[in-house]
Amino acid sequence: MKIRGAYIAAAVAAAIMIAFPAFLGAYPLNVARSVMTYMALAVSWDMLLRSGQISFGIAGLFGLGSYASILAVLRGGMDPLLSIAFAALVAGLVAFALGFAILRLRAMYFSITTLALMEIFRIIMHNLHDFSGGPEGVVLPEVIFGGDASALYWLCLGGLAVTIGASWYFERSKLRLALTAIRNDETSARSNGIDIFKYLLVAFVVTSTLQGMMGAIQVQSYGFTTPDTAFDANFTLLPLAMALLGGIHSTIGPMAGAVLLGIASEWLKLKIPYGHLVVYGVIIIIVILFMPNGLFGLARKAIRKAGGAGSPGSASNGSDAEEGAR
Amino acid sequence: MSKLSTTGLTKAFSGLVAVNDVSFAMEEGEILGIIGPNGAGKTTFIHLVSGILMPSSGRIEFKGRDVTYLPAHERSRLGIARTYQLIHPLENLKVLENVMVGAVFSRGKSLREARLSAEGICDELGLGGLDRDTAQLSILEIKKMEIARALANEPEVLFLDEVMAGLNSDETKQMIETVRRIAGERRMAVGVVEHVMGVIRELTQRVIVLEAGELIAEGPYEKVSKDPRVIEAYLGGAA
Amino acid sequence: MVNKRKTTLVVALIAAAAVIILAWRPTVLIYGLQAAGLYASIAVPMGLILGIVHIVNLAHGEFLMVAAYATYLLCKSLGIDPYLALLPVTAVTAGLGFVVYKLTIRQTLKAPELNQLILTFGLGISMTQIANLLFTSQTRKLSFDYVSASIDIGELSFGVYNFVFLGAALLMVVGLRWYLTRTTAGKAAVAVGQNPRGAAIVGIDVDRTYGFVFAMATALVGMMGAMLITRSAVFPTVGSPYTMKSFCLVAMAGIGNIPGILGASILLGVSENLLKAFRGLRGWADIVFFVLIITVILGRSIRGKKA
Repeated sequence: MKIRGAYIAAAVAAAIMIAFPAFLGAYPLNVARSVMTYMALAVSWDMLLRSGQISFGIAGLFGLGSYASILAVLRGGMDPLLSIAFAALVAGLVAFALGFAILRLRAMYFSITTLALMEIFRIIMHNLHDFSGGPEGVVLPEVIFGGDASALYWLCLGGLAVTIGASWYFERSKLRLALTAIRNDETSARSNGIDIFKYLLVAFVVTSTLQGMMGAIQVQSYGFTTPDTAFDANFTLLPLAMALLGGIHSTIGPMAGAVLLGIASEWLKLKIPYGHLVVYGVIIIIVILFMPNGLFGLARKAIRKAGGAGSPGSASNGSDAEEGAR
Repeated sequence: MSKLSTTGLTKAFSGLVAVNDVSFAMEEGEILGIIGPNGAGKTTFIHLVSGILMPSSGRIEFKGRDVTYLPAHERSRLGIARTYQLIHPLENLKVLENVMVGAVFSRGKSLREARLSAEGICDELGLGGLDRDTAQLSILEIKKMEIARALANEPEVLFLDEVMAGLNSDETKQMIETVRRIAGERRMAVGVVEHVMGVIRELTQRVIVLEAGELIAEGPYEKVSKDPRVIEAYLGGAA
Repeated sequence: MVNKRKTTLVVALIAAAAVIILAWRPTVLIYGLQAAGLYASIAVPMGLILGIVHIVNLAHGEFLMVAAYATYLLCKSLGIDPYLALLPVTAVTAGLGFVVYKLTIRQTLKAPELNQLILTFGLGISMTQIANLLFTSQTRKLSFDYVSASIDIGELSFGVYNFVFLGAALLMVVGLRWYLTRTTAGKAAVAVGQNPRGAAIVGIDVDRTYGFVFAMATALVGMMGAMLITRSAVFPTVGSPYTMKSFCLVAMAGIGNIPGILGASILLGVSENLLKAFRGLRGWADIVFFVLIITVILGRSIRGKKA
């Protein structure tokens, strides 16, 4: 019963989301697109985090997708819509190749290496003047769908839907068991038949593909990019803060965090043009120090307390009551 | 043919030889005791045959097949399972899911099939409350959960590394019964590392004795325990 | 024995490379060494924290930035030289480091490494953005005559001022070596770094040692921030690149190996300047560093697996 209720709620939410352009103006749709982009990045970051690997390279794959898409259209004459799929593929293939090397690394070494890779991508785009336009970047002759606000919104929503679908599959399939086992105890995982490298590679390639796809959607919607906008550190920072705030190791946590922080940041951007990002830094610090399981973790704890000893949740619905305090 | 055998198995860590030229075999349906003083290399030996560590030299065969350098996850799929001396629960998975892991990844079962088989195994071991977090389990329950997870791999060879440690005498008795029953029903070869000699005497048909990485004696417990080299090893360790 | 022969070979190769570079483009070696001094003197404090407190401080460069702003304000308002401001600024960053340690980092020492990494990441962001709030992203610069001091040897002419950074790096390495091996407090800190539980058992106050080491490291970073003002403009993200560079150098040297950081810095500084010597490759010089870090980290992980 509980599951059916959740499906109905999700369907209603999706219908409302799809219908948004009917009653929202251009500016709110623009804000919605920005929130959805960050939401997709936050969810994809969390998907890899479920294996215990912290990526600081979201912006790297996002930027890579941006450039792959815009250059495919500009230099290869590819159809803009097709170029989004192409960019996702490029990001996935790059992640696949890199994965063989960097997925041997753990903890801080993995994190720092992803950060370094992002810098490498940025420097390459900066320096390939003839191909990538160098520091000034590249501009498309026209934006996809002729810049129609509703169409751009639906495109972004589509990207988000694919991401959430992938994350949902991660939660419902045996991937969840594999990634959680790897995060908790690699030795135990190995002696129970889990091919650690294979599952890390799957998670890394899938999340990189999603990030590349969102980069492509972004660049097609704005019609231009430069190394500094494509590889903007905010594309790493904001999703990370959003996922942490909402609650990591779940799909719904990062989504909630993205809605809260995304809307808050739009407002703050107007109020404090310089330094509104300080809010993100402070949120990260507060979450780590006082609520490591995020808002959803807090809510769950409150429900558990209110519910007393007869705690809810059943073995047939493992995913939503997953996260206990460490 | 032996279920599992090693020839000249050796593991050296920069200078220190933890396992030195050990050759042994385990047969179907047998419970083998692996004993020796602290630091004799018993756990390292199990790490080697289960693939958690790779040997420096020597050979490991599983049912006649060379598995010396096979990665751990592939060995568990072939049928070599184990538990750990220090507990290794997967704390972000429920008890049942902990057990399911073995069935899903070693046996390639679907989640539904794995759930059924895990429930069956837990039932057999008398482990209830499968919807709990591992943090809520007693030490006996965690040990049972880890045995259940190993059994969900449907192994032909199972190593139990000090599963009785930390249990009181009633629990130990219960655990001896459990191990004997699961070994008998499945015709597995079971290797048991224990420090409590009473457990070894009651549970095993045969023991091997390791000292400083070398195999120094082999045979039924009654015989081995009278072997002067074994007595020397234990007394020497105590002195 | 094999190891010794290998070391000799490596030293010989490096010496040969140095001679070739010196003969071909002496400035590559000179400027490379100067850059190395700057890198090393900023990386050493991070190595100290990583080796003893076992925290990767992703806000490392931001402490540098705070010190740079403090120095800028002090020099601007009092009209003094940065080297005069060095002492008060160092005291300020030491205090800041201690407070940050007590209020935040200390709380996550027992938490998973993930929490520590993300916490210091958040600290870095907050510090950069507070600087943005206070000073906007505008760059500010002070200029001093002595910075442009140069020497002519025959046809060769080069700036000498930046050698002060090499001096600072050497001083830091030697000083820390003396402190960690000769003084009681230093030896205690090393013991805490190797085995905190054991150190606690023999009566060393682990928490106090951590706090002290963190403050000492941020003091050293603060010193470098004050010196940085003499050669570079200050802006909110001025420190950010140094966090990664420092981590890379520490990882290259191996955690706990402070003199090694100097060696790694020389390798990095000279390689970067080597690329800059080719006109068309100038823009690529930055990439050297990142390729180097990934190679080194991967190399270490593979070698670690084999051992």
